[in-house]
Amino acid sequence: MAFSRRNFLKYAAMSAGGAAIVDTPFFSARARAEAEGGTARYVPTSCEMCFWKCGVIAKVQKNKDGVDEVVKLEGNPLHPQSLGKLCARGQAGIGQLYDPDRLKRPMIRTGERGDGKYKEVSWEEALSYTAENLKKIIEKHGPHSIAMFSHGSPGDYFTNLLSALGSGNISFPSFSQCKGIRDATWELTFGHKPATSCERVDMRNSRVIVLFGTHLGENMHNSQNQEFSQAVGNGAKIICVDPRYSTAASKASMWLPIKPGTDTALLLTWINILISEDLYDKAYIEQYATGFDQLKEAVKEYTPEWCAKETDLPEANIVEAARELGRYAPSVMIHPGRHVSWYGNDTQRVRAMAIINALLGSWGRKGGLYLPPKGKFPSYNDGAPEYPIPDEDPVIKGNYPFAGGEGLTQVVRDVTITSDPYPIKAWIIAGTDLLKALPAPARTREAISKLDFMIAVDIMPAETVMMADVILPECTYLERHDGLFKIETRESGVSLRQPAIEPMYDTKPAWWIASELCKKMGLDDYAVKDSWEERMKRQAKAWNVSWETLADKGYVSIPDSAAPYITPENQPVFKTPSGKIELYSSKLEEKHFDPIPKYEPTEQPGEGMYRLVYGRSPVHTFSRTINTPFLWELMKENELWLNKKEADRLGVKHGQRVRLENQDKVVSAPMLVKATERIRRDCVYMVHGFGHNSPRLSKAHHSGVDDQELITHYKVDPICGGTGMRVNFVKIIKEA
Amino acid sequence: MELSITGANAITYPVMHVWDWRVAVYLFLGGMSGGLMSMSAINYIRSKKGPVDSACSWQIPVMAPIILAIGLFFLNLDLSRPFHAFWFYLAFKPVSPMSWGAWLVLAIFPLMILYALSALPNAVKAKIKHAGLRGFADKMQPHLLKLAKANFLAGILLAIYTGILLSSLVARPLWNSAILPILFLCSGMSAGAAVMIMVAKTKETKLFFTKVDIWLIIAELTILLLFFYGHYTGDAAHRQAIMPFFSTSHDFFPYFLSIVIIGVALPLAIVLKFLEVTGEHTDELTASGLMLMNASAVLVLIGSAIIRFAMVYAGQLSGYGGYM
Amino acid sequence: MPRYVMVIDQSRCIGCMACVAACKRENNVPMEHFRTRVVEMVRGEFPQLRTEMRSELCNHCDHAPCVSICPTGASHKQKDGTVQINRKKCVGCKACIAACPYDVRYIHPEHGWADKCSFCQHRLKEGKEPACVATCIGRSRMFGDLDDPNSEVSHLLRENSWRVLKPEVGTQPHVYYINQFPRKS
Ligand SMILES: Nc1nc2c(c(=O)[nH]1)N[C@H]1C(S)=C(S)[C@@H](COP(=O)(O)OP(=O)(O)OC[C@H]3O[C@@H](n4cnc5c(=O)[nH]c(N)nc54)[C@H](O)[C@@H]3O)O[C@H]1N2
Ligand SMILES: Nc1nc2c(c(=O)[nH]1)N[C@H]1C(S)=C(S)[C@@H](COP(=O)(O)OP(=O)(O)OC[C@H]3O[C@@H](n4cnc5c(=O)[nH]c(N)nc54)[C@H](O)[C@@H]3O)O[C@H]1N2
Ligand code: SF4
Ligand code: SF4
Ligand code: SF4
Ligand code: SF4
Ligand code: SF4
Ligand SMILES: [Mo]
Repeated sequence: MAFSRRNFLKYAAMSAGGAAIVDTPFFSARARAEAEGGTARYVPTSCEMCFWKCGVIAKVQKNKDGVDEVVKLEGNPLHPQSLGKLCARGQAGIGQLYDPDRLKRPMIRTGERGDGKYKEVSWEEALSYTAENLKKIIEKHGPHSIAMFSHGSPGDYFTNLLSALGSGNISFPSFSQCKGIRDATWELTFGHKPATSCERVDMRNSRVIVLFGTHLGENMHNSQNQEFSQAVGNGAKIICVDPRYSTAASKASMWLPIKPGTDTALLLTWINILISEDLYDKAYIEQYATGFDQLKEAVKEYTPEWCAKETDLPEANIVEAARELGRYAPSVMIHPGRHVSWYGNDTQRVRAMAIINALLGSWGRKGGLYLPPKGKFPSYNDGAPEYPIPDEDPVIKGNYPFAGGEGLTQVVRDVTITSDPYPIKAWIIAGTDLLKALPAPARTREAISKLDFMIAVDIMPAETVMMADVILPECTYLERHDGLFKIETRESGVSLRQPAIEPMYDTKPAWWIASELCKKMGLDDYAVKDSWEERMKRQAKAWNVSWETLADKGYVSIPDSAAPYITPENQPVFKTPSGKIELYSSKLEEKHFDPIPKYEPTEQPGEGMYRLVYGRSPVHTFSRTINTPFLWELMKENELWLNKKEADRLGVKHGQRVRLENQDKVVSAPMLVKATERIRRDCVYMVHGFGHNSPRLSKAHHSGVDDQELITHYKVDPICGGTGMRVNFVKIIKEA
Repeated sequence: MELSITGANAITYPVMHVWDWRVAVYLFLGGMSGGLMSMSAINYIRSKKGPVDSACSWQIPVMAPIILAIGLFFLNLDLSRPFHAFWFYLAFKPVSPMSWGAWLVLAIFPLMILYALSALPNAVKAKIKHAGLRGFADKMQPHLLKLAKANFLAGILLAIYTGILLSSLVARPLWNSAILPILFLCSGMSAGAAVMIMVAKTKETKLFFTKVDIWLIIAELTILLLFFYGHYTGDAAHRQAIMPFFSTSHDFFPYFLSIVIIGVALPLAIVLKFLEVTGEHTDELTASGLMLMNASAVLVLIGSAIIRFAMVYAGQLSGYGGYM
Repeated sequence: MPRYVMVIDQSRCIGCMACVAACKRENNVPMEHFRTRVVEMVRGEFPQLRTEMRSELCNHCDHAPCVSICPTGASHKQKDGTVQINRKKCVGCKACIAACPYDVRYIHPEHGWADKCSFCQHRLKEGKEPACVATCIGRSRMFGDLDDPNSEVSHLLRENSWRVLKPEVGTQPHVYYINQFPRKS
């Protein structure tokens, strides 16, 4: 048979695992531009539409005026977090870049705080004004009276500034409002977080995946969702524990619509079943864990019968789910989740999740959780001197012994209000929307009113930003350098952010802003020496990564860093006091907390009230993208998910608008009702992030309802200090 | 079922609204001008001696192209790229009724004009300023009968074509029926006859077209019934398609109303016509007789217009499957 | 000549809308207009529910009513099996929109021409997959040449039972759907 060249090419493409048409194999930005005749430029960089930081390739072309324009964003096939794909938000990043509502120039407040009156000033004026005010406050109250809140890449640069000034009051909502509890708890149990930025879940090889909340599909972290879909395609059994029929539940073989707040009961019962029915991995537990006997004893009381009553789930399903886990162990997992600050007793729930994973032997096993990659990166500070030791301890941990290093935002806020133990008089807010991120926004407003000075480094005129005394506009991620980023997936790697185009308007990268402030504050040694790009080059060298390759490919993997599974040669290391998986936590015992999780019921809604729960939309990131034109058009407002039978009972129709009133008599704006079978009768649900108050956000202003305004109440986890935010109850007011 | 769609276009979701009153007006006027062509031709042909009624024998042929032109004006208003309309005539697409329509109109227009010119009485011709045109009209006069015959056929084509366009749209079950063109033909003809009745000067002509219209209306009502019956016994999509006409729900009330009005207007017009035809007759028209005739003619026009409007709008509600 | 088809594995669609956003950016689709959409249908009563997800786009029908109705030849079928619109020739009569049983067309608000999914033919010419396929997070959308028996799509259509949308209209679509519901193992 003649073997033509045409056929050969087809076979070649086939054996590469795809159709005859494949996306242009991406070897490098330069090669791709050349292959296409040089009409477009390609810039590998990293997405910042959310914090997954996918590898992006920006296509840049000259527009008819000869100006560079970003025309398309695509996933970098070499980057393990994007694998050639971008989610809707990543695709729509151009919308953020060209959003006409962006902050365009530095501004100084001229009116009352919050009334939105500002004058545009030069960078020189804005920075001098900022430095002057900071100096005044430091003189009077000391450097620790300056606090910083951040989320995302600007954080690093301002952390440097604060540390150089001698303040340790640095906090991130990604700890106490998000995954802090999870990370701290898994460290107690396994001596490791279950993730650095990526959860180390080996879903593509799993046989059973259990999701507590964790609404994959709506919670859109790119590669994780790709793997979830792959698992669904492989026929993995998905068990979804969620009071709401989420997208993930729609893919599940078993949906367990649990009574909100009772998850720990289910988990402890499963532990009991696994142990009493001998379904756990005995050898694994013997080899790697301590405290099994105490655990076995402690969970005896949690019977399926009791659990069924407590959780409002069918007893048969409870038992069946546990047996499925046992049957397919260790290629199974209880997904560790991400946003876990739910009820104020979350540490123990997350502990129970970690413990089940241990019993099933899934840590370090194929289809379970893979091990952290090898390949360590030395810390790099570009020759800056050591930071001074702050004269006052930071307040950021409060009285929570296991609050991690990221700081408790609500504690900083409380101290700002009370000045106890010392006054906090200035806030630097860089890339976080505090009024939306922290529960009880009234307290955030109160704290802000106590400040002498507030600085916002942001890209959009959100409400929080428009409370600041000085606004320092950052350019968007497509216009700046950031990084280098350590990427830890199955392997270690390095990625970067580099500008696709020059900054539009009079905006600057956060590294520059923070560095200029260092200089103005007389901290030249901590400022960036030349440019961030040069610094990145030096860092790349220190990490033994070729800068040219990195800048051309966007991602460089560290050779031989992948060692995902336990083998005789590749033994796991548990950085706990005992060096083992601590089913019984000695550290918790030391601090007088339950060393083994105990079930503690949560308060349930009273007559006529519904628990308010919230989550994500795949097309938005919190509040930050609501105004992004191409995403706003996909989802303009959030709806209130209300059980259909409850809606009928209340005489509320699908598509009607209602208001919500919470237990503290806070009333929401009117919102659309989604009357649905997809949620339990005792709770209502909405997507978080909507209901912007800033009129400068022309699209997002007043579209939808802000869950946070209704979250006036929060319950702090006594162990890690996370703020449980699903402890608010609302009733439905029809008149609207 | 709970349905959510992200990325639907407003022009097709939740219901299609591609065409509006402009197209309905075009279909009505197009059908009517076809009716006028045929009816005026009949008026001429039925009397070998010459025009039975001098007024309607030349005014109607003049009116027909004007009405068609007005109709086409509305159609053009509906085009979202009217300045590209010349592309209609740079292509002939044998399976596209739209293309046929465009060419048909192009062929019919001269025919209508020639017919109108040839039918002009001398007194009217005398008023034409342009000598060449006057001479041309004179030259055409001998061909009047041939032109009338041609116009009769062309009128039928024109009237039926408006229905063929819609009926060829397989995606819209309400329209997708071979009966629809016949319905439109019939209603166009009956509208034409109604206009004849109103414009005619002599009682004889009026009565003649009244009789013609009676048969046309009876046919129209029968065809309408068959149309609905055909849909009712058709597949689910066809059955669903006619439901708006038989539902009093808020959303569909206009369609229900349209059927009620047609159901009242057309029979009432017949009754009035019967009264007139069977009534006592003198040579002169009595004032009340005239009123009866005109009133019934107006009812017919209303019925005919409503049929077009109702079909254009209701057809766009219909479709296959939807989201199942 | 290739015969381009799309195969959509519904069980793998997670309703993330990446395809919708990618298509819009790739093809500069005007605000509030779409060439592709994602449909989510949930049936049943709490807690016994079942969901069907599917993305929809132009089916590039073999018997395309939009092509046969078009008076100017603007809408036409190409040899590669795709249905395309020659914008120059379009008069904006909207007949094709009314004719399409799948409601996938719209009128460009600025230019007035009819528009719809092109199977990203400009990308195909460069040997790239359509934008929506390239970015499909669930790998629910797959694309290829049905004339090539070794292509992934050929494999999929051989090995799976498939369906097309609204077969009763007789349009013979080039977009095939497999695995209407996720497997419940
Ligand atoms: N598109 C998009 N994706 C995102 C983000 C985004 O903004 N946009 N943000 C990212 C970030 S930072 C985070 S932390 C994650 C958050 O995403 P996840 O970690 O998945 O958040 P959860 O709170 O676990 O999940 C919300 C789900 O929990 C359910 N739920 C509510 N109460 C209970 C309960 O008592 N028990 C159980 N079992 N379930 C309950 C809700 O119905 C909802 O379906 O998402 C990430 N992904
Ligand atoms: N009620 C309720 N509260 C919650 C949550 C919830 O689901 N419900 N989720 C919690 C979770 S999990 C988290 S992680 C937090 C997240 O809370 P945040 O981190 O505050 O959330 P974002 O919306 O990402 O904050 C973004 C701010 O950063 C700005 N920004 C965007 N890009 C850039 C940039 O490139 N540079 C700079 N300088 N600024 C930028 C945006 O304009 C916006 O003002 O919220 C928590 N709070
Ligand atoms: S998951 Fe989406 S938004 Fe987040 S970094 Fe990746 S592409 Fe960007
Ligand atoms: S789906 Fe519609 S627009 Fe596409 S080819 Fe078929 S009929 Fe034409
Ligand atoms: S709108 Fe354009 S493409 Fe559609 S049928 Fe008319 S001319 Fe053809
Ligand atoms: S093939 Fe191209 S044009 Fe068609 S839906 Fe996909 S991205 Fe849009
Ligand atoms: S990108 Fe893929 S998985 Fe996401 S909605 Fe579109 S078809 Fe579904
Ligand atoms: Mo988070």
